[in-house]
Formats: sequence, C-alpha cells, structure tokens
Amino acid sequence: MDQKFYKKRKLKIARFLFILMAVYVSLPKAHAAVSHQSKTERLVLVLKKMEQKYRISFVYDATEINKDLEVTVPEEAKSVDIILKQLSNYGISYKIIGNEVVLKKNAVNKLKAADITVKGTVFEKVTDANSKPQSLPGITVLEKGTHNAVSTNVNGEFQINVKQGAVLVFSAIGYKAAEVTVGTQTNLRIFLEVVVNTLNEVVVTGYQTLNKQLFTGAATSLKAEDVKRDGVTDVSRMLEGRVAGVSVENVSGTFGAAPKIRVRGATSISGDNKPLFVVDGIVLEDVVNISNEALSTGDANTLIGSSVAGLNPDDIASFNILKDAAATAQYGARAMNGVVIITTKRGKDTKGKANVSYTGEFTSFLKPSYSTYDIMNSADQMNVYLEMQQKGWLNQGVTANNANGGVFTKMFNTMYNFDPATNTFALRNDAPSQKAFLQRYANGNTDWFNVLFNNSLQMQHSLSITAGTEKSQIYASTSFLKDNGWAIGNSVNRFTGNLSGTFKINDKLSFELLTVGSVRDQMAPGTLGRVSNPVLGQYDRDFDINPFSYAINTSRVLTAYDATGNLEYFTRDYAPFNIVHELQNNTLGITQIDFKGQLGIKYKFFKDLQYSFDGAYRFVKTNQEHKVTENSNQAQAYRAGTNPQNATILDNNRFLYHNPDNPNALPVTVLPYGGFYNTVGNNITNYYFRNSLDYNKTIGTDHVFNVFATQELRYIDRQTVTFDGYGYQYDQGGVPFIDPNIVKQNVQSNLNYYSMQYGYERYLNYMARGAYSYKGKYSLNSTVRYDGSNQLGESTTARWLPTWNVSGAWNVDMEDFYQRSKISETINSITLRATYGLVANSANATNSSLILQAVTTNRPYINEKEIALYIKDLENSQLTYEKQYEANLGTDIGFFNNRLTLTVDVYDRKGFDLIGPETTSGIGGQAIKTANYADMRSKGIEVTIAGTPIKQNDFRWSTQLNFAKTSSKITNLQSLPTIFSLVNPDGGAQLGYPQRGLFSIDFVGLTHDKGIPQFITEDGSVGTNVYLQSTTTKYLKYEGPVDPTLTGGYFNSFKYKQLSLGILLTFSAGNKVRLDPVFKSSYTDLDASNSIFLKRWEKPGDELTTNVPSIMDRYSAGQVDGYPYNNYNYSTARVANGDFIRLKTMSLSYLIKPQLLAKTGLNSASVSFAANNLWLIYSDSALNGKDPEFFGSGGVALPLPRQFTLSLKIGF
Amino acid sequence: MKNIYKSIPLIFILIAAAGCKKFLATSPDQRTQLTTPQKVAELLVTAYPQADYATFTDAASDNAEDKGALASSTVKDPVNGDPYFWSDVQSIEVGSPTYYWNACYAAIAAANAALDAIDKAPDQTPYLASKGEALVCRAYAHFMLSLFFAKLYDPAGPNDSPGVPYVTTPEKVVFGQYSRGTVASTWAAIEQDLLAGLPLIKDVSYTVPKYHFTTTATNAFAARFYLFKKDYAKVVSYTAAAFPNNTIAANLRPWNTTYKSVSAGTLQVLFTQATQPQNILLTETPSTWARYYPFYRYGFGLMLNSYFTTTPLPTATAAVNGFTAEVVYYYNVPNYTLLKFEEEFVRQTANANIGTAYTIFPQFTTDELLMERAEAYANIGGASSDLALADLNTFLSTRLTNYNATTMAVTYAKIASTYGTTDVKSGLIACILDFKKREFMQEGGVRWFDEIRLNLPVVHNIKAINNTSTYITLPPSDPRRLFQLPAEVALSGVPLNPR
Repeated sequence: MDQKFYKKRKLKIARFLFILMAVYVSLPKAHAAVSHQSKTERLVLVLKKMEQKYRISFVYDATEINKDLEVTVPEEAKSVDIILKQLSNYGISYKIIGNEVVLKKNAVNKLKAADITVKGTVFEKVTDANSKPQSLPGITVLEKGTHNAVSTNVNGEFQINVKQGAVLVFSAIGYKAAEVTVGTQTNLRIFLEVVVNTLNEVVVTGYQTLNKQLFTGAATSLKAEDVKRDGVTDVSRMLEGRVAGVSVENVSGTFGAAPKIRVRGATSISGDNKPLFVVDGIVLEDVVNISNEALSTGDANTLIGSSVAGLNPDDIASFNILKDAAATAQYGARAMNGVVIITTKRGKDTKGKANVSYTGEFTSFLKPSYSTYDIMNSADQMNVYLEMQQKGWLNQGVTANNANGGVFTKMFNTMYNFDPATNTFALRNDAPSQKAFLQRYANGNTDWFNVLFNNSLQMQHSLSITAGTEKSQIYASTSFLKDNGWAIGNSVNRFTGNLSGTFKINDKLSFELLTVGSVRDQMAPGTLGRVSNPVLGQYDRDFDINPFSYAINTSRVLTAYDATGNLEYFTRDYAPFNIVHELQNNTLGITQIDFKGQLGIKYKFFKDLQYSFDGAYRFVKTNQEHKVTENSNQAQAYRAGTNPQNATILDNNRFLYHNPDNPNALPVTVLPYGGFYNTVGNNITNYYFRNSLDYNKTIGTDHVFNVFATQELRYIDRQTVTFDGYGYQYDQGGVPFIDPNIVKQNVQSNLNYYSMQYGYERYLNYMARGAYSYKGKYSLNSTVRYDGSNQLGESTTARWLPTWNVSGAWNVDMEDFYQRSKISETINSITLRATYGLVANSANATNSSLILQAVTTNRPYINEKEIALYIKDLENSQLTYEKQYEANLGTDIGFFNNRLTLTVDVYDRKGFDLIGPETTSGIGGQAIKTANYADMRSKGIEVTIAGTPIKQNDFRWSTQLNFAKTSSKITNLQSLPTIFSLVNPDGGAQLGYPQRGLFSIDFVGLTHDKGIPQFITEDGSVGTNVYLQSTTTKYLKYEGPVDPTLTGGYFNSFKYKQLSLGILLTFSAGNKVRLDPVFKSSYTDLDASNSIFLKRWEKPGDELTTNVPSIMDRYSAGQVDGYPYNNYNYSTARVANGDFIRLKTMSLSYLIKPQLLAKTGLNSASVSFAANNLWLIYSDSALNGKDPEFFGSGGVALPLPRQFTLSLKIGF
Repeated sequence: MKNIYKSIPLIFILIAAAGCKKFLATSPDQRTQLTTPQKVAELLVTAYPQADYATFTDAASDNAEDKGALASSTVKDPVNGDPYFWSDVQSIEVGSPTYYWNACYAAIAAANAALDAIDKAPDQTPYLASKGEALVCRAYAHFMLSLFFAKLYDPAGPNDSPGVPYVTTPEKVVFGQYSRGTVASTWAAIEQDLLAGLPLIKDVSYTVPKYHFTTTATNAFAARFYLFKKDYAKVVSYTAAAFPNNTIAANLRPWNTTYKSVSAGTLQVLFTQATQPQNILLTETPSTWARYYPFYRYGFGLMLNSYFTTTPLPTATAAVNGFTAEVVYYYNVPNYTLLKFEEEFVRQTANANIGTAYTIFPQFTTDELLMERAEAYANIGGASSDLALADLNTFLSTRLTNYNATTMAVTYAKIASTYGTTDVKSGLIACILDFKKREFMQEGGVRWFDEIRLNLPVVHNIKAINNTSTYITLPPSDPRRLFQLPAEVALSGVPLNPR
C-alpha cells in the first residue's frame, strides 16, 4: 500500500513540477523572473525557516534523514508543497498531518530479482586538478527504465541492486544528470557537474518569459541592483558601459534629455535609430519623437523627449537588451534598432508582512572650471581686443550703437553720455581715460562658471513597500527628486508613484494591476529653437542664455557685477544684457504629468496552455512655459532704439516693424509694454492591448516545445499645441497689452501666434513563435510576425509587412563526446548560436498617399494673401518599411565552472529600402522625395568577458569587460548631399562611407600676406571661398565616422566583508569630432577667444609655422571672397579624435552587519558613497580637455556634471 | 463562473479583430483630401512656378555687365556668375535654372493633381473654372520650361529636337520615366491645354485675381505664346481680348506721373503690388533677387547705366537720352538699381535671424503686352506699321518727364537715323527691342526672351583688375542658349542638352 502510494505520488510530483515550470515560463508579470533563484542551504535551516514562516513543525528521524544535507529550494516558493516536493530530489518524501509534516526517507524499492549490487560514491566535478573533489549527498540514483532508486548518504555513498547491464541515472537539482552503464565494476566513482541555474533560468523577452533553453538570440540581461548608479536619475544612463554593443552617448546632461542610445550602431540613414523601450511588457512611447541628431541641438523639447525620465530608478528590477534578430524578432517592424526591456519590481510573498525599504540619495555637483575649457584669461583677451581695434574693428564709429557689444561698445557709448548739470561727459575722449576705463576689465578675469554654476545639492528619496501572501502580492513605492540646479536657472522636482499588485484568484486565473505615475516640474533657461544657417555655415539661436554656453562663449573681460557690486549690463540686440538678470527674467518651465494604468490577466485553459491579456492606458501631458518678462533683454530688444529714438538702431533693429503699406514710416516697436508668455504643449494618449497564447509541452524528458502567439494593438494620439502670448505684463497684474502691429507683423510673415496639430499612430500586429529543444542539446526557434501600421499613409498596399526569423543553438557541452573529452574540465560549457532573419522599421515617411497641406501664401500685403494647398509629398506607391536582414553567430563559453564566462557575437546586417531624401529628376513635381532609397551594410563583433578571479570567504573580486566594434557602410545612396550637410558636426550620409561620416573642407594653408585660410574649393582650385551649398563634394576630405566604432566598459567590483567597491571605466573610440566653430571673419568685444588664438597668424611668414588664421582687418574682411573663416571651422584643421577613456563611476558601500541591527529593528542598512563622471582619463589633446561626447552646446543642453552622491538604504 | 473566465480571451480577441481595417485606415496626420471645389481651387494657388528666372536670365542677357572684382559691395554668387559666362549653373538654389525647373514641375504636379480630382468628381460643373485654370497653369509652366531648356519653336523648321517632358498625370512612383518628345509635340501640347483652358476661365472664381490666370492674364499668355510662334495676327487678337477697347494704353506703368511723385520706398512697393493695373499676373517666389539685384557683380553697372541714361531715343525734335522719368538710384557706384523689387523676408521663427526671402515677380505686364503687340504689328507690316509706331509712342508717353507728344514722339525718320536702317519693319523692331531692353532692365526674362527669340548675339565684358574689359560673345544658335537640365533627369530616362 505504502509503496503504491509513493509511486503514484512521485509521478504526480513529476507532473506538478513540470506544470510549475510552465508557470514560471509563462508568468512574466507575476514574478520578476530574476528574483526566482534557488538557494542552496542546509536542510536543517530550510526546515527551520519553514517552521517559522508557515507555522508548522517537522518530524523526522535524524538517523534516516541527514539534516546537514545541502538542498536547493526556490527562494521564493509559493507554498510549502513546492518546497517539500523539491525535497523528493534528495530522496525525501513528506506527509502533512495537521500542522505536522512527517519526513521520511524514500523507501528503496525492494526488487525481487536484483542481480548485482552496485556501490559507489558521487562527487562534485572539479575543474581545478589540485582541489579534492567533494562528495555529494542526496543524489538520486535511478535504474533507468524502472522506478528503482536510492539516494546518496552524507558521504555521497550509495548502494543499489540492479540488473546486469543496467543504466544508472544520477541526478539532482543543480547538477547535470549523468548516466553510467553498470559493467563489471561495482564500486563506481561518479562526478556530477554543477549546472548553474538550470531550472529557473529564463529570458524575459517583454512579451513572455521564456525558458533559456528555448532562447537562441543575442541578449543581455542586467539586474538593476548591479547596474544602478547612485545619483543618476535617468535609468537609461545605467546601461552605459555595461552591455557590449550598446553605446550610450551623453550629448546633454540636463534632466530629461535622453542620452543617445544605440544598440549595434545605427541602422537607418534618416530615422531615429533609437532602440524600442518596453516597460513591463508595454511598448513605451516617447511624447515627442526626437532623432538622435536632434538631441544635441539643445532645443527645449529634448527635455521631454525621453519617457524613461519618468521612471524611478529604485523601481527597476532588471534590464534586458535584445540585440540580434532572433531576440528582437517578436517586435518585427519596430525592432531594427534593438529593444531595451525594463521590468519593474513586483510584490513578493512575505506572509503578509510589510517589508519597507527606504533609499535616500544626496548628490552634489562640482562646478565646471576653466581648466577643462580652453578660454583666454582677461589680460590675453584684452590684447586680442586691442589688436582688433588696431585692425579697425573696435573703433568708435563701428562699435558705438552696435547690436551686440561688450566693453568697447560700452566705452564709446559712455563717451556720448553727457551730463548737462556738470557739463561733462561720463568718460573723456582721450587715451588715458580710455586706458583707465579698459584697465578694470583687463584685470576682471571673470570666472563665469563661478557666477553661473552652483555646487548644488540634489536629493532623492524613495520609499517602497513590498507585502503579500501566497495569493495577493503588492509592491508600492513613491519617490521624490529635488534638484536645486547645477547651473542657475535650472531646477527639477520629480515625484513618482508606483503601485503594482498580483492577485491569484485560483490555480487557473490571475490578475495583475499596475498603476504608475510621475509628475515633473522643471525649470530651464528660456530658449528658442536652433536654426541652421547653411549660407554662413553655422547654427543660429537667438537670445541664447544657456549658462554653460554663455560661460564658454563669453569673454572673461566682461564682468557680471560692476565696481559697486551691482549687476553690470552690456549690450545684446541693442538692449542691456546681464546673464544673471536674464536668467531670472527669461525662464522655461516644464511640467509633465505621466500616468499609466495597466492590467494583466492570465488564464490557464489546461496545464500546458495559457492565455494572457495585457492592456495599458497611458496619458502624458507636457507643458512648456517660456516666460520672458518685460525687464528681460529679449523683451527690451523689441523696443530698443524707439525711446529715445536712435536713428542707427531704428534702421537696424530687426525686431522693429516696418509697415509695408507705409514704406516711408519709421519702424515702430510691436511690443511697447510687457514681455512674452509662450507655451508649448505636447500630449499623448496611448492605448495598448495584447492577447497571447502560450503553449508549453514536454514530451518525455527530451523534447521541449513552446508555441507562442500574440496579437497586439497600439493606438497613439499625439497633440502639439503652441501659443505665443505677446505683451504680457508680469509685474502689472498679469494683464496683456497687445499691440495690433505684432499680430500684423506675424501674420504678414506667416507666423501664427498659436498652432495645434494632431498625429495619429495605429499599429496592429500578429506574431507567432515556435521553439523546440531536444535533450537540452539543440534548440530551434522561429518567429513570424505580420505588422500593420497607418504610418506610411493611407495606402493599403504599403500598410502590411511580414517579418521572420530562424535561429538555433547547440549546447556542445551537453554532448556525450564533449563531456568525455578532456577539455570539458577547463571549458565547462559551450553554446553556439546562429540567427538569420528580417526585421524592419517604419521610419519617418508617410507619403504612400498624396499629402496636401494648407499654407497661407507668402505675400507681403494682407489683402493679397490667400489660403493655398500645396503638395507636401507626392504619392509614393512604392513606399515600404525600412528592412534589414541580419545574420548573427554567437557563443557562450564557461571556464572553470563558470568562474569565467565569455560571450562573443558577430553579426552582419544588410539594411535595405532605407528611407531618406532622394533627389529625383523633379519632373514628377517633387525634386526631393522621401523614398526607400538606400542600402547599408554593417558588421560588428561584441565580446563580454566576466569572471570572479578571487572568491574567498571574506574577499571577492568580480570583473567584467565588454566591448563592441561596429562599422557600417552605405552601399547604395541616391541623394546628393551638400558640402554643409557633410561637414557639419553631425556629419552626413555619403555613398561608400559610414551611416554618418564627417567630412572636412581641405585646408591648404594660410595666405602669405594676410593669414586668411585657403582651401580646395568645390571646383578643385585653391581659394578662400568654398560654396557650402554646392553638391560637388568630391574635394572634401573624409575624416571618419561621427559615431564611435569601438565602445565598451570595464567594471570591477571588490567585496571585503561588509565593504564593497565598484569601479566602472567606459571607453569609446574610432570617431571624429568637429571642434567648436570659434573662428569668424569678424569678432566683437563680446567674443571669448579660445586659447588657440595665442598661436594665430600675426605677420607674413607666420603661415609657415601656424595653421591658426589671423584676425582680419576690416578692409580685408570687406574684400575677401566668400566666408573663409566659417569654412575654416569646417576644415581639416578643426577636427579631433573622439576617442576617450573615462572613469565613469566609483562607488564604495558599507553594509551594516545584521547583528548590529538586531536591536534597531532594521533588517538591513547600508551606506554608500559614489562619484560619477569622475575623470576623463584620455581624450585627444586637440580637444584641450573638452568633453568629446558633449558638443554643440546651447539652448537647454548642459554637459554631464562631475557629481558625488551619498546614499543611505534602510530596510525593515 | 468558470465559463465567464473562459470566454474572456474570446471576447478580447473578437474586439481586437473587429474594425481592423478601419483602425489602420486612420491618416497619420491631418492631411486633406481633394473633395470640394474650394480645395481644388486652393491647390491651384500653388500651380504657378514659385521660382524666379530673373536671376539666371538677367545675368545671361546683355542687361548684365561685369562690374569688376574691385567694385565695392558687389555680391559674388555662382548663381549670378555661371549664367553670365553661359556655363552650366552649378547651384541648385533659388535663382538657378534647376530650382526653376523643379518649381515648374511642382506647379504642373499641382495642376495635374487638381485635374485628377476633377476627373474623379461625380459632377464636374462646379469645378469648370478650376479646370480651366489648371489647364492654363499646366500649359504655362511647360511653356516657360520649353523657353529655357529646349530649342524654340520655329514655324519654318522641322521642330524635331527634344522638347521638355510634358506631364499630364500625377506621378506615383519614385522615379517616373519620361520622354522629352520633340519641340513640335511640346508646343502642340501647350497650345492644346491653353486653348482648352482659356474659355473655362472665370475671373470671379478668384479671391486674389492678380495671382491667378484671369481672362486678361490668359490672353496675355496666349499673346506671348503666339509671338514666340511668330503667329502675329493671333498676338494682335489676344492682346485685344486681354484689353478690349484698347484700354491697354491707360494701364501702362505711370512712370512720369504716380511713380515720379512717390518716395523711393513707395516706388519699390508699387512696382509689384496687385493694386497696380499694369501688373497682369504676379507670382510670389522664394528668391533673393530683391536683395541682391543691385549688388550682383554681373548686373546693372557703369556701361549699362551710361546706355540707360545717355543714349538718345528716336524722338522727333527734342533730344531725349533715355527714359527720363525712370530714375536710377545706386548703392555705391556701380551698384545701380531701378527700385523695382522689395524683398519679403519670412523668418523661420518669430525671433529668427534667418528665414526665406521672397520676391514678387510680375509675370505679365501691360507694358510687355503692348510691346508684343507693336512687334506683331511691325511684322504684319503695311498699314499695321503705323499701329506699331503708335504703340511705341503710347509706351514712350509714360516714360518721359514733361512728355510732349509733338517734340518727343517717335518718328520713322528718327528711327531710321537712330538705328541705321531704312527698312520700316526692321527699324520698328530695333526700336521696340531698344525700348524693351531699357524698360525691363533688372527684371530678367523679357530681354533674354528677345535675345533667344530673335537669335541675337549676346556680348559680355570681362573686367580685369586694371579695369580694362575683354569681350565674349554668345553667337546665334549657340547650344548654350539652352540652359542645362538638372543632372538627375537621367534617373527618369531623360537626356541632357548637348554642350
């Protein structure tokens, strides 16, 4: 009877275990897979814990059951049964009687006709020849094909009666099963190999959680706790230097500005090239789409471009980065640029107890200093000004009444300042007076960084509570971030809230609810959009008051405060300007409310088949308020010259209104009172639904199947609203004063004072995947997906796209021949992976049908204007998605029992049908069409080496090095780039070169007589005039790619007792950087000279020793052909290597010993100190210390600050 | 309960599957559809080539001279320099032949899209005026292209050299394939569209008529078309149709009255204003012409100024040297200007420094039309010669200060002595060309049209550093009289012009 009972039970256990596995595999929401790790502990401890936890007691015979047996049980089991069932692997069975659990050793089948008795010992296989193998207790020894089984004793010994020639199977959780045929030898020595995480190891693909055995793609998963960087508020920055093939470039450090993230380099020539972010299984939509290139513009909307900025770093449980086609296949037409999957924390079964965890981070930023920027001090600067004066630039006639002016403008204007009372001028017009006037400024040596930056404090508090029972689990968190602002005029408050609950109604049905919200309230300096000026070859931004770009572009001769300590004003746009005053009176406020509600339902039809529904609703409302008060320079520029009237200014001030109906009238101001109140709103409404079926089946022990099918719907409505308020009187009761002329002026210029636009995105996708694994040796995986989108336009033919993928893996180490071979002792695991498939991207083309847009005609008189429709894009019936075939070969190798692991992936990608502007004959009516015009091939290799070189009781050193090399080449391109589009800092696309290549105008030297730079011009001759808009680009010199070709990181962590130290180095190489455009044909007394000016051409003959052009005299500047100085900025002389090595992070933390906490009631406490962006170890000397990652500053962009963070973590 | 759970998936899948088609049919943006007569009419606002040909034709014509490298404040721009040397213009920016080519075909595409929508409309009646406008616009853009990029129509010749691709259907593929056809086929197509469209035109259908092909403008176009075709009787009849009852004389530019009395600033405004009756058709074009025309290195310089202000006119008894009512201004000699254009600068954003410069161009004027009629009369000869002379005098009457109809009238005798010919016809034509060269100074187009139409040699000076000039000549029938097509036409299977 007993016997029968056990047999039946065991069978059931086996089946249940499988079901359990299936649950694990298919419950991505309910259980963050990474937390499901097993833990090896002594049996006695396990039992003791269970006694406490479940209020039960165990009864067993200590002579029969070895209580020191090391058993592996799931750390977070859902029930007593699950743990107890695991014990059967150790030959222990159980019986529950009330609150008592009786443990018994499995009865050994007493076989009637046992031919022989086999004895032996089971050891753990060791890789180190010198160490003594350890015996393994609790190993199940089964005669294959029967139910005859025993388990090993404390010393790893066993004895079993079997038939002649029987096959013994040795198995245990955590070890690879071994089979031995019983021969004549009756005393066996069996060595079992440790398998790390075999049962519960899974891969999170965003849609499902898949048994790793069935996963064949290239993916990297990171635990948030391993990569979290204290004091770093944007979670996407945590990926920096941690994943081979993922490059994170910090083009701006301002809060909310996303870093430039690329997975395996760029795939599209004109598209965004941003990876897809999936948070908790739901695709995360950005509020505004900002291309990687646009990120460096510093425009205000870069601050709201990253939806990831709304996530609380403490809520993140893990990242999974899907890189190759096999991994990303299920995202089909969105997957070309890789996928980053973020999983947030979930509730746990705490038996109802609330576990509270608090994290406090206190960060201080270091002010930037002139030592890393290459700016002249005020004495040198004054010398440059005096040379400029000599050359006719800063004379009274030229400089007084200048639109923009510094000390010289001020000096000459002061000379005109007549005081009738004393009958004197404020400054005498003689040399000594002038000298005295200038002397104060020559000695000024203003430290603008000191004036405009603070060693500010940022704090972040995060509180989370985890509580749950077996059936209901809750995770709740809230966080508050307050950043007082590194640069003045910048500050951030962010609140986040997160509530997630998992509810198991019964064995078949479970629910998951998730509510996430964040509120952001940010201040930034008021900014206007940047406009590119291809004529001069420069980017223009009016009224730029970005503190950082001001500090590095403003002469140190200027002083922020005058001799009496009051703010000192100079001239900008004919109006008084002081940066400190302007930052107070010209501000940009950004508010964002982001809310997401999410529901997951899982229903298990029967044990192998599960249905799940995921739905989410997200709403984001963003508002930018640009407040320009009446006292600001920007508002005063609109009235400069009108009161009192100044004829020179009236003529030249571009903000005044010339009435075209009355050409003889004097220009008038359109803003007599007040300032501006301009708002921009970006809203997004997003629905997401997904239905999936997941079928898992195992036939015998050899065949594992998974079939997954899903249908997904995405609905996104975007709204952009702008409103320009004129004449708002901030300090007069907030009443606007609107001069009708400002409306008239803008209507005549087709500038609308308000606008509102909608964008609609609709996606419908179907996907199916089958995966099969044989004996854990071979895996096959295939995905097909059918994407439908409205983004290409209203054509039904362009709408749908099928994508597919086939991949396979071979676990060489599971082969018998390998296990027998000698090499398996050093290299304990080898997996080979191969992938081939098609992925796609819908890019930014919407013209599969004719696009007509309304416009008001550009005619000067209001009564001549009319509404027109124009063809924005002709119909392109051939429009299709951007596509890419990708082949990937990868291997994962483990050495010395996985003490050292190596992952290598190589890939070859063939992008085709890439979308971009294509120059056509124009005969169809559109000279430049958006079409599928280009092909690009890219190749790369990614290597990750990780290991734990030292692993002792007290000391542990683990290290990880990853790097990736990628290169791309455009193999087909029809467009005709202009010189400017290739030489600008963002580079351009050119046939035969990388996705973005940086080209230079070939600089051939300075002229002998005047030191003016000369180039090979677009017609091949030597001259000073290069026509930047020419499409003859063959004389340009190719410098290199704009994006680094080699990126990587090197992470080390040292742990000694309670102390741990982490060091992250990042590096990047292979790209070229355009140096700042500091040269002009004329300078003003505001310009800050780069110290390179000290090497400038000063007299004929200097051209032999220097490449730095002269300061032109005024006459020559009028005579010179073209814009040689602007050209020089884009020449071969102004390029540096982008290579760098950076000490990114260093953190030291101390975990307080639990014993010390016992009295406080705390469970855990730790203190850590981290330093971020600590040291740029190496960069090209041509950069003179400037950060190669951060260029083109302006607007709201700030570099990444050097920051120090103290953080405190408490759990109770 | 269990059944309810079981049906959940089914419900969701059904919901998602239903309305799939409609779901993806949503337009990605707020683009519009051509479904109403009003929208079709609005589309035709962009059926006029929004580009200027003045920049390249003025420099190619003999209304431009080299001011020299040392002239102060001159602007050096390939878009001005290349056509002066009759070399292929490399620039594709505003003012270049390529830009004009693209703009003409963009206008044609708008006309074709409108015609396509009209064809698909269930009832064409409310669209008829638009249909007329679309056909005339299509004819006009092709006509202008054929003037610059193909040989001209010769009534006596075979006209079998390549024309310009005549596009009548909307392009729906990236690289549409086209044929240039022949000059004969191109001009036949132009004539067909023009004559089909003309009767459908309704002036009342326009909100701002001066920017559209009104009956007057269409007839003026027809007059120019037939002048090129040398069908002089038709020139006369279409001019009469444009200005019934010979009201044309009353609508000439009032140089010696209104224009003389206003300030320089106002003059600049009036010249291209819709309220001025002498402007028959205006087009707004992205162009920097208004900004640079006085400053281009190759433009209105010392020699032309001397021609303009000191060369005697064939007036009866009074000695008149040039159009005395037309004042030449200058910004630093030799940057002369007649203040004909004012730039409209459309800033990119409210505070931006940069933006797009627009220039309004009169495409047809009463003055040109009158001179075309005079030339037609002169060619018809016989009794019509007197009508030509009358037109010349009408023309002159608005251009001379203190005009005296007796002493300042143009006479056959004076024409013969001034232009050195006793042949009435050639004398009249020489006088007409002289008047046109003066009148349309700095307007581009008209002078160049005369030079290609009558195959006149064009002479340009090249000024050396020491201010001595050497001369180059564009002889009659030179292949460089045709501007070069953009290189990309090869993608559409279209050959370039021979060089």
